Amino acid sequence: MRRIGVFVCHCGINIAQNVDVKALTEYSSHLNGVVVAKEYKYMCSDVGATLIKDTIKEFKLDGVVIASCSPRMHEHTFRRVANDGGVNPYRVEISNIREQCSWAHSNKEQATEKAKYLVRSAVSKALSLEPLQPSTLKVIPEALVIGGGIAGIQTSLDLANDGFKVHLVERDPSIGGHMAQLDKTFPTLDCSSCILTPKMMEVAHHENIELLTYAEIASIEGSIGNYTVKIKKKPRYVDMDKCTGCGDCATACRLKDRIVSEFNQGMGKRGAAYMPFPQAVPLKYVIDDKKCLFLTKGKCGDEPLCKKACAQQAIAFDQKEEIIERKVGAIVIATGYDVMDPALVYEYGYDQSPDVITTLEMERLISSSGPTKGEILRPSNQQKPKSVTFILCVGSRDETQCTWCCRIGCMTALKQVYLLREKLGEEIEINVCYNDLRSFGKGYEEFYRKVRGLHTNMFRGHPSEVRPMKENLKIDIFDTTTNKLFEIKTDLVILVPAMMPRSDATEFSRLLHLTLSGDGFFLEAHPKLRPVDTFVNGIFIAGCCQGPKDIQDTVSQGSAAASRAATILSQEELEIDPLIAMVDEEVCTGCGICVEVCPYEARTLNERKRIAEVNDALCAGCGGCIAACPSNASTHKNFTKKQLMNMVDDIM
Amino acid sequence: MKKKYALFPGCLMPTEQYAYELSIRETLPLLGVELVDVEGFSCCGEPMKSVNQLLTLYLSARNLAIAQKHQLDLFVPCAMCHLALTECQHVLEKNPTMKERINGMLAAEDLQYTEKRHIVHTVDLLHDEIGIQKIKEHVKKPLQGLKIATHYGCHILRPSELGRPDDSENPQKIEEILKAIGAEPMNYPQKLDCCGAPLLANLPESALTKTGQKLQAIQEMQIQGLVDVCPWCHKMFDSRQTKAGETVAVKLEVPVLYLTQLLGIAFGIPAEKLGLELNMSPVEKLQLEAAK
Amino acid sequence: MSIIDLTSMGEPQSELRKELNDRLTKLQDEISDYCFQCAKCTSGCESHKLLELEPHKIVALLKRGLLNELVNSDVIWTCMTCLKCRERCPQRVAPVEILFALKNMAVASGKQIPGKYTGMLQSILSIGLIQDIQQVATRSNKTMKRDELPLPPLSKPTDVAKFQAGIMKIAMEKV
Repeated sequence: MRRIGVFVCHCGINIAQNVDVKALTEYSSHLNGVVVAKEYKYMCSDVGATLIKDTIKEFKLDGVVIASCSPRMHEHTFRRVANDGGVNPYRVEISNIREQCSWAHSNKEQATEKAKYLVRSAVSKALSLEPLQPSTLKVIPEALVIGGGIAGIQTSLDLANDGFKVHLVERDPSIGGHMAQLDKTFPTLDCSSCILTPKMMEVAHHENIELLTYAEIASIEGSIGNYTVKIKKKPRYVDMDKCTGCGDCATACRLKDRIVSEFNQGMGKRGAAYMPFPQAVPLKYVIDDKKCLFLTKGKCGDEPLCKKACAQQAIAFDQKEEIIERKVGAIVIATGYDVMDPALVYEYGYDQSPDVITTLEMERLISSSGPTKGEILRPSNQQKPKSVTFILCVGSRDETQCTWCCRIGCMTALKQVYLLREKLGEEIEINVCYNDLRSFGKGYEEFYRKVRGLHTNMFRGHPSEVRPMKENLKIDIFDTTTNKLFEIKTDLVILVPAMMPRSDATEFSRLLHLTLSGDGFFLEAHPKLRPVDTFVNGIFIAGCCQGPKDIQDTVSQGSAAASRAATILSQEELEIDPLIAMVDEEVCTGCGICVEVCPYEARTLNERKRIAEVNDALCAGCGGCIAACPSNASTHKNFTKKQLMNMVDDIM
Repeated sequence: MKKKYALFPGCLMPTEQYAYELSIRETLPLLGVELVDVEGFSCCGEPMKSVNQLLTLYLSARNLAIAQKHQLDLFVPCAMCHLALTECQHVLEKNPTMKERINGMLAAEDLQYTEKRHIVHTVDLLHDEIGIQKIKEHVKKPLQGLKIATHYGCHILRPSELGRPDDSENPQKIEEILKAIGAEPMNYPQKLDCCGAPLLANLPESALTKTGQKLQAIQEMQIQGLVDVCPWCHKMFDSRQTKAGETVAVKLEVPVLYLTQLLGIAFGIPAEKLGLELNMSPVEKLQLEAAK
Repeated sequence: MSIIDLTSMGEPQSELRKELNDRLTKLQDEISDYCFQCAKCTSGCESHKLLELEPHKIVALLKRGLLNELVNSDVIWTCMTCLKCRERCPQRVAPVEILFALKNMAVASGKQIPGKYTGMLQSILSIGLIQDIQQVATRSNKTMKRDELPLPPLSKPTDVAKFQAGIMKIAMEKV
């Protein structure tokens, strides 16, 4: 004999105004299976909770019906309260008499009648609810971090210092990301390498971090707490154990200085055997398999010069791609950003003159380890410029390109103005064409003031075009501060390009069923309250892959993601919601339709038993398989056809 | 395979810029294009846009409707007409209320606009539909590296969201046609500057200043001649070159031809058939008629 | 409304502004509200250097509803319709189209139409084209007309009465 308790909530006047809660409670107390019915103003409050718990104990209830607002509001709370009171939390049924009754109707008499139907059917459901037990899954206390820029580095160090093993996967031959390409950072003008390299070294030497560079993710399967990751290690053609980083191979390489260097943003050259940059971690050489003569044509002169030059005999052309497998409990994605190709805003001349460059290219010119050893020289004639002009917002805040603000453009331009003034002296003319100047962070406004004091010509406006002339570049700009049109004749133009998601972000997101926001960056679960969570449990994002930001916000997010991941990894077991699909093994014919239909890849076919199976951790309870199953073998726990039909019968 | 088009002449070409029409009628049939002369066309309305845009829409719509009556696509040699007709079609397709309103007025002439028409200009007809290969095949007298600058004008390049005959920032189709006929296209910083024609109606001196400034810049480089593809641009650069020179106080002696005239020369067509004596700029400097 | 322009002591013309925006949305998709005054249009404006046209300022005045002075001004007639402002604007505002609408409004409010527009309009009304066949000069100092050249007859509206009837309907309409 079942003992159900019905609890009717007034919800202030939200329900009580349109539904006669007293009459409803009285009615409910006489329903089949109900031993007690109570009412209260705010059932979700502490007082309400105590009322429910006390009533459960007093009347020895084994099931609870709450007539209240939508289950989307407080179902979780009421389950917990019931559990505290001694009732299985899955024997709680919520009857929505607010959104689906009192808020939808104005005739109190009719609304109350309807509420009675709703509660009656809820009671009949409650009578058939199974006392489900959540299953648990063991959590693997290891993390996967994808991306070895400053975000990934920070996350890895935090997790490793927490005591978890971290697998850091980076697709370039070295970690460091875009931050390694910078000379100085704003607003303190710290040397970027000086603050980054110690962290990179820490990552390399940390006993809890497995550093996998020149590697990519091949596949990810599994669920929160238990992921199986396949990682593709690309061959360096250099034996990492033997390589001492001496550089003899690069010096000897037949293609030395003939290949465009990506690290130097195309401003400099490298060979096929190369070190990405002098502070690379790991400090090992790599051979570019798309350019190396031996690897692409099978022949490099009489013999490969790198092999000849290497005293350690570390060159290994027989290396192959390797797929390794790792199991982890949580994943943090920190894949960074790409810079927009400013040729897309053709009128600014990026494709028309070598003297039109981007801020990242300028950063490489400024850097003392860059292609010009820190000399600022015009690419067209290798002469010092007498005038340089920055144009901000190239492709940013642009409805025809990237609609968003890149967040770092203004400060980057100001930083470079400062450094150029330092390098090139007082006589050179420095112009800045800006739309709005955003110096929002701590110390940023002070920096902006400093730059204004350096005889910088600030023009408020966007030029329409950069016109390459014979000797220099001509820019007409209407300055809205003076309402005058100025003609600037300048030697070097630096464009601040938009910040974009990685070109393969969409493709990558499919590996993990990640959602992208409208601008193509990875979508956070909530912009204010859950900035590093995603909609997939167990997967977190950090840094610019989530949206444009500077280094300090990136580092903050890196640590935040580590903390969020640690919440999972620090538990031995995780509970899995039992309100999911299940298979009636007697009826299932093994047709496999549910496997095709499941958007979460939670269904598999057991070949031996010839039936379908549900992965409890992946199933989201969407119901797709239940609709698709032709044999009615697929059902939803506590939402079976029989249970639902009973509810309908009761209403009728 | 012959491509059939109704020739939409507009106002300026048939009443004044005869050389364009002559050179079109000489060259295009050779390249497999059949031009149909249709009665009843009127002004496209673009010059009236400043006065009453509804009139412009109506005039363009009636011309589209006439072409529809004859079930013909439109070849529009004038850049302003091309924009007017293209934009009208775009507006009517996007705005059913406007379409209904215009059709209501068109009924007075027993006309209706109900289907989209394919509209081409000289540049995309030559480059995209006829093709460089076919043009090359008809070259009898390659131009021996003549250094020619191109003037696309404004209305066939912008606004790009409507779909224009060539790219708005880096148009290259005329350059490729020039290469196909043996000329050497010359790049110059003022390439995308306007000819000034739209101001001819109310501020002629400013219009001529624009023209003069561009011609002056071209004259100062090692450029032998200029080609254009619109009767308004040509009217400024060629017919009014002397006046433009006076306005900017520079003696201007830049040979200016329609692209189709230069094409005709390369095809071996006699100069008088291409209306070369109607060019007011010193085209004889190019010595195109040498060696028949 | 309590915003007063101190230079003219006039109140924003919200009616005129509404009419202008109605015109704009009917004919085009451009909306002026999104302009953030980057002045890229004015920086590249073909009419700016010669005639001091400032397209971004026109848009700013539109946003404030100060249309009276614009509609009555001469500067709106200086636009060269090169369309660079529409092409390059990062916020999809099209000053050129706003200028067309302003000129239309000036005409509709009875202001005198400058230059040769009236003549062209009259020609369209009588023969359907902005001008009739011209006698042009040749380089050898002769003259030439269409009928002296191997060209077919001029294409123009055949039933002029019907053509005019169609156009007259427009005179009655408001855009």
